[in-house]
Amino acid sequence: MPTAPFADALTPDADVHPHRNKLMTAREAVDRFVDDGDVVYTGYSTQVPYALTHEIIRRRRRNLDVVGASLGPQVTQLVLAGCCSRVRTGYISGALRPGPLTEMMASGALQFEDYSNGAIAVMLMAGAMGFPFVPMKWFLGSDYLKPENRAHAASFLGEAKWRVIDSPFDGDRYLALPALRPDVTMMHFQRADVYGNVQGWGALGDARWALWAAEKVIVSVEEIVPTAVVRRDPSRTLVPGARVAAVVHAPGGAHPTAVAGYYDSDYSFIRLAALAYEGRDQFDAFAAEWIYGRPDRAAYMGHLRERFGDAWIANITPAPPLPPLAPIDYSFAPHLGWMDDPEGE
Amino acid sequence: MSDDYALPELMTIEAGRRLGETESVMVGLGLPVLAATVAKLTRRPHFVFNTEVGAFDWEPDPAAITRAPIGISDINLNVGAGMVSDMQDALGAWGHGGKVDCAFLTAAQVDRYGNTNTLVIGDYASPRRRLAGTGGNADLACTAKCAVVIMSLEARRFVERVDFISSPAYIDGPGARGRAGLAPQGPNVVVSTMGVFGFDTADGGRTGSCEMVLTDLFPNVEVSTIQAIIPWELKVADEVGVVEPPSPEELDWLRRLDSLGWYLREGRY
Repeated sequence: MPTAPFADALTPDADVHPHRNKLMTAREAVDRFVDDGDVVYTGYSTQVPYALTHEIIRRRRRNLDVVGASLGPQVTQLVLAGCCSRVRTGYISGALRPGPLTEMMASGALQFEDYSNGAIAVMLMAGAMGFPFVPMKWFLGSDYLKPENRAHAASFLGEAKWRVIDSPFDGDRYLALPALRPDVTMMHFQRADVYGNVQGWGALGDARWALWAAEKVIVSVEEIVPTAVVRRDPSRTLVPGARVAAVVHAPGGAHPTAVAGYYDSDYSFIRLAALAYEGRDQFDAFAAEWIYGRPDRAAYMGHLRERFGDAWIANITPAPPLPPLAPIDYSFAPHLGWMDDPEGE
Repeated sequence: MSDDYALPELMTIEAGRRLGETESVMVGLGLPVLAATVAKLTRRPHFVFNTEVGAFDWEPDPAAITRAPIGISDINLNVGAGMVSDMQDALGAWGHGGKVDCAFLTAAQVDRYGNTNTLVIGDYASPRRRLAGTGGNADLACTAKCAVVIMSLEARRFVERVDFISSPAYIDGPGARGRAGLAPQGPNVVVSTMGVFGFDTADGGRTGSCEMVLTDLFPNVEVSTIQAIIPWELKVADEVGVVEPPSPEELDWLRRLDSLGWYLREGRY
C-alpha cells in the first residue's frame, strides 16, 4: 500500500493547543465519546469505519441505535456482538441471508425502522442545518406509508417516524421526516491533520452531511499529515476540525471496504466473512479471530497479511497511481497598494 | 449477430440499449451496473452514467477497463467521472429535484402496474424472507422521469401485485401517481429474459389502463410462453417487435466486464 512521506509524522505540528489537538487512539476515542444508548451514524459502502466499529465491540458498548443510509456488515457485527439494539437504514448489504440478524428482526429482539438512502441523506441535511423536518416526495405511493407497516412489531419510532403533510404554500402533498442528529458519527477517510481537518476524495456517499449533523464526530484515517498539507489544499477538507471530536490514525481502518488510492474492496474477505453472519457460533469464531483477538488495527492488518499472505494483499492494492493530471493552484496576488489609472488626472 | 448467448445475457444487453441516447441515467445496484457499462462501451456511448453514491458522468476508458464496477460505489467510478461528490447531490439535488431522465433499476418483484419490491417477500409484518432493502431504489422510482427495470422472467418475480410496493410506478392504475402526490413517469420499460414490456399509458400514468404491455419478444420466444409464466391476462401490443440478438461486440464486452461472474455466473440477477 502506498505510503506518503508523512506516514510516520504523527506529531508534526508544534504549538497545537491541547484543546484543538484531536489525535488519539481508537480506544480513547470510544471511551470518551461513545456512550451506551447513543445514536451512532456510520457510513456507506466504501470507507466503512471497521477499525472504530471493532473498538466499540471490544469496549462493549450496549444498546446503540445504529443509523446509516446503507449499512454494511459492520451493523451485523455490532448486533451479533451485543452492542446494538436498534437499526435505522435503507439497506443492509450482502443480500441479507437468513441468519441470526433476520431472526432478531423477526422476533423483535432487534428493533428497526426501514428508510431509503435518499430519505436518510436529506434528514441529515435538516439535522445539520437545524431545520425541524424535511418535506419530500419519496415514499409517497409506497407501502411504507401504510399505518400497519409503520407500526410493525419491531418498530420504535411510531408516529415520530414521519407524517404526510400538505404544503402551506400550494397544498401539494409531501412526506415530512424529522431531522436526524446523531449523537456520534464515525467514518473513515484518507487523511487528516491533528486539528481534525479531515480530507477525503472520491465519491463520498452520505459522509459529508453525516459529519455536519452529528454532536460528536470520530474519524479514523489512513494518514495523519502535517497541518500544512491540509492548509495548502483545503478544498479537499470535508468538515472543519472544530466540528471533530477525535482523529484516530488507523491504516487499513476501512478493510474490507475500499479507500480510494490506498486499497480496494477485499471481496474475497467479504465473502469469507459473510459465513460468520449465518450463525452465532460462526460469528463468535470470527469475532475471536478478527475483533477480540486483535487489540487494534495494526494488529488486525498484521494478522491479515500473516493469515492470507502477500499475494492476497497485492490483490487489493491499487495500481498504477492516479494523481491529478494538472496541479491545483490556490495562488493569489498580495495587492499591497491601489493602482493609479494612467489616463486619470 | 451471435446465436451463442444465454437469455440473461441478452436481457442485460437489451436493457442497456433502452437507455436514451444522451439521457442522464441514475444507475442502480445490481445488473443495471453491468448493463449500463456495456451500453456505454457499445451502443450508448453518450448517455450520462451516474450513481447515487455521488459519481457523475462516468466515462470508462475502453483501453484500461478490466471489469464493470462492482456495485454503485466501486472506487473505479472515481476515475473518469466528470464529478464526484455525494448522495445529497445525486439523490437530493438531481433525483428529488426531478432532473434524472431515467432510473435504471432492478428488484425482486415487479407487478402488473410496474411497481417493484426490494424489501420483503411475503407479508411485511411476518415476511417469509427479508431482502437487503431499497437503498435509493424507492427514491428514484418516486421522482425520476422514467424507469427502466431489469427483471428475469420468473413466476416468483412477475406477480399481479408485489408483496410490498417499495418503489411505486403506476401503483393501482390511472391517476394513482397524482393522487399519491407523485409526478407523472414514463414511458417505463421492463426488460426480462424473454421479452420487453411497456405500459399502457401515454401520459405518464394519468390515463390509460397503466398495465404492463408486451412490446417485444426475444428471438424464438412465443407470446404463449410468456403468458404461461405471468399470472394475469397479459396485454400484448398490436405489433410485437423482435429483439435484436447480441452483436459479437456486445457479447464480448459483457463477458469481459463480468469475468469474475459477479453479475451473471453467480445468479445475482
